[in-house]
Amino acid sequence: MSMTLVQVIVSGLLLGAVYALFSSGLTLIWGMMNVVNFAHGDFVMLGMYTAVVVWTALGGGPFAAAPIAAILIATLGIASYFLLVRHIMRGPMLAQILGTFGLALFLRYSAFWYFGADFKTLPDTLVGGSFVIAGIRFEGARVLAGVSGLAITLLLHVILTRTMVGSRMLAVSEDATAAQLMGIRPQRMQALAWGMAGAATGIAGALIATFFYTSPTVGETLAILAFVTVSFGGFGSVLGALVAGLIIGVVESLSAYLIGPVYKDVVVYLLFVLVLWFRPQGLMGKA
Amino acid sequence: MLIEARDVTKAFGAFKAVDNASVSVEEGDILGLIGPNGAGKSTFFNCLTGDLPVTSGTVTFGGTDVTRLPPEARARLGLARTFQVPLTFESMSILDNATIGALMRHPNAREARAKARDVLQKVGLGPLADQPARSLGTPGRKRLEIARALASEPRALLLDEAMAGLTPTEVREAIELVRRIHDGGITIVIVEHIMEVIVSLARRVVVFHQGREIARGTPREVTSDAKVIEAYLGRRRVHHGDAT
Amino acid sequence: MGARRFAFLGLVVLALVYPLLVAGLPVYERLGALVLLGAIGASAWNIVGGYAGQVSVGHAVFFGFGAYSAVVVYTHLGWPPIAGAPIGMALSVLLAAVIGVPTLRLSGHYFSMATIAVAELVRVLSSTFEFLGGAQGLGGPAMPRTVFDLSFLSATPFYYIFLAVLAFLLGLTWWIENSRMGFYLRAIKDSERAARSLGVSAGRYKLYAYMLSGAFTALAGSLYLCMFGFVDPESGFGILISVKMVVMAALGGAGQLFGPLVGAMILVPLEELSNSWLGGRGAGLTFVLYGAIIVIIARFLPSGLLSLFERRPEAPKAKPGATNVADGHAD
Repeated sequence: MSMTLVQVIVSGLLLGAVYALFSSGLTLIWGMMNVVNFAHGDFVMLGMYTAVVVWTALGGGPFAAAPIAAILIATLGIASYFLLVRHIMRGPMLAQILGTFGLALFLRYSAFWYFGADFKTLPDTLVGGSFVIAGIRFEGARVLAGVSGLAITLLLHVILTRTMVGSRMLAVSEDATAAQLMGIRPQRMQALAWGMAGAATGIAGALIATFFYTSPTVGETLAILAFVTVSFGGFGSVLGALVAGLIIGVVESLSAYLIGPVYKDVVVYLLFVLVLWFRPQGLMGKA
Repeated sequence: MLIEARDVTKAFGAFKAVDNASVSVEEGDILGLIGPNGAGKSTFFNCLTGDLPVTSGTVTFGGTDVTRLPPEARARLGLARTFQVPLTFESMSILDNATIGALMRHPNAREARAKARDVLQKVGLGPLADQPARSLGTPGRKRLEIARALASEPRALLLDEAMAGLTPTEVREAIELVRRIHDGGITIVIVEHIMEVIVSLARRVVVFHQGREIARGTPREVTSDAKVIEAYLGRRRVHHGDAT
Repeated sequence: MGARRFAFLGLVVLALVYPLLVAGLPVYERLGALVLLGAIGASAWNIVGGYAGQVSVGHAVFFGFGAYSAVVVYTHLGWPPIAGAPIGMALSVLLAAVIGVPTLRLSGHYFSMATIAVAELVRVLSSTFEFLGGAQGLGGPAMPRTVFDLSFLSATPFYYIFLAVLAFLLGLTWWIENSRMGFYLRAIKDSERAARSLGVSAGRYKLYAYMLSGAFTALAGSLYLCMFGFVDPESGFGILISVKMVVMAALGGAGQLFGPLVGAMILVPLEELSNSWLGGRGAGLTFVLYGAIIVIIARFLPSGLLSLFERRPEAPKAKPGATNVADGHAD
């Protein structure tokens, strides 16, 4: 196997770990409440802009930006839950879809209005530039993002499956009424889920901003990537999102290398459509 | 035999919700399916209606093999059903709900409406026909579901725990209604928790327990069967009359 | 004459004379045509999204098919663009079948996402075909050759053409609404499971609604091309087109005959005026407003504006001696 191919796969894996991170937020919400957050991509976008602002205003890198983004997007998530999602959840499908869609547009064009349409990028040197190990070239930013992505996704998984809080959240997602009878407050758990999802998503955005261009409309593509990852990995399963994210990252990387960068989007969309048609419950999700 | 289920098994992975059940219903019969919670009777019921595809076995209706047919095809052959939690069409009026049923045999909307009005009158919902369906309480909704199913002029009516959540008076009225429907020539299959209902309505009973049939016979025979009593033992006080 | 009948007749008269009222004011003439075009697209969407309850957020794929069919028959065959409309419509019906058969059986959110993905897929692909003008798109006739080219200088002829198409579409929708198909679609929307138990082939009816909806959306696309003379991947297949259709219908009232028209009457002028006042970067503000409106509708008025005018059904009066059917337990 040629070194370039290894390179492509490695960079696909690193990218995929980041996809996994921001998709885990989406899958958590979806699995818990059967609500699809169409504004998810724009949450990531705002995380990215947080990193941009932290750099331009404070001169800080991802280590400063990530926590700030986590708090900001977590707050946004919780606010969205209380002001909007909580009310539309039980309503007609149209309202559910329109609700988060409208939120997406609102956030996207607010960013467009405030920041302008031009792409912004963070300097390469922000995270150690690039280096070579065993003949493979690594970009510091991508390595940091990938490793952090992996770590935080696993942390999320551990929280959900091994802590009291996590099992309470899972109880609510299984059967909110039964959980209520056990003394758990579904709304609190759901709000917490939105907060956690927001935090993970914000961090993911701050990390991506170090090596990807930031623009108001980047959320659109990222949303579809998240949807593919979640559909593939199974809604509700963070571990599934991790595996799926890694696979998608590699697929995208290989497509860009083998077919051409324009077509990599096509491959991802096509994959998405195929997954929906043939196995909507994904790899590890409940049907 | 109007309905014939032979060696029906429904498995979810390794778990067999229904294990080799063979039940037949003659035209004009009233059959009761009973059993404790989780016995598999509802699953079996949904295999008859087509909502759940069987893992193995066959289902025949009126001589036609319906095993691979979807619910709507079976409905068109004359197999009607109600739902445990009433699924009335909430955005419509009571009349329009019944009209959906009538449209099966009367594609013309006006004729279907007239037929629907007729059926509503027969079940006692006549005066409320133009009210919205969501103004009804649970007993009303259950009655509406029955009317809706009747409007499709079925040969058999399958009732899924129709009595759950009703007061004793309402239960008595419902039993009356089902008797009247049966007198009109419609075969009835009823899944039920409440023993009294089965004893007063059903001619024959099949008892399910852990996916299998453990007894069959008349209500009297079945309620004095030791196996049946044992299956229900300790559960009588808990689930008696409760909705699932 | 009831208040409703009166309002309806008033609307018809207004619709017919509007261009005369604004003659000489090209901005308003154009606005009128745009409102009607929006209403056509939204009413087409309404058939599958409002009546059948299948929320497609990717209807732009049909719109684009219609627009591109029109411009392609002109560019490559020299025909008047409107001749491409039947082709666009036929292709859309086919496309709807191809998309619909596997996706309509998916639950609500999945279906919506699938429609977005397909539309995006087509948008990205269309920018790679030279036949379609690539990322630059294609333009229609610069100079009208015959009257069939429909390249009018004034918006008024477009207004009347669109009015005729809208009238036809609404008439067709009204007819369906009162037929068995209309009943069945409403039933499917309320409870597909219950509908199937009553003999309704839910899959088939949803598909028919989707195909019909796609066809008329394509027609809207072809008409758009005739009026604007140009289409590219973004203006043909872009997600904003899909969103606008949905929002117009939802604002006025999805599943109601005149809902989309009411929605268009509010949102199209709003967008045009907002764009001309703010312009440039301010154009983003228009969509901030759009987004806010959508959220507000979803949160507070999911049944749309027309539902505010519905007479509230009276609560059933209890009758002594009757079966106590209506006074139920609230569960």
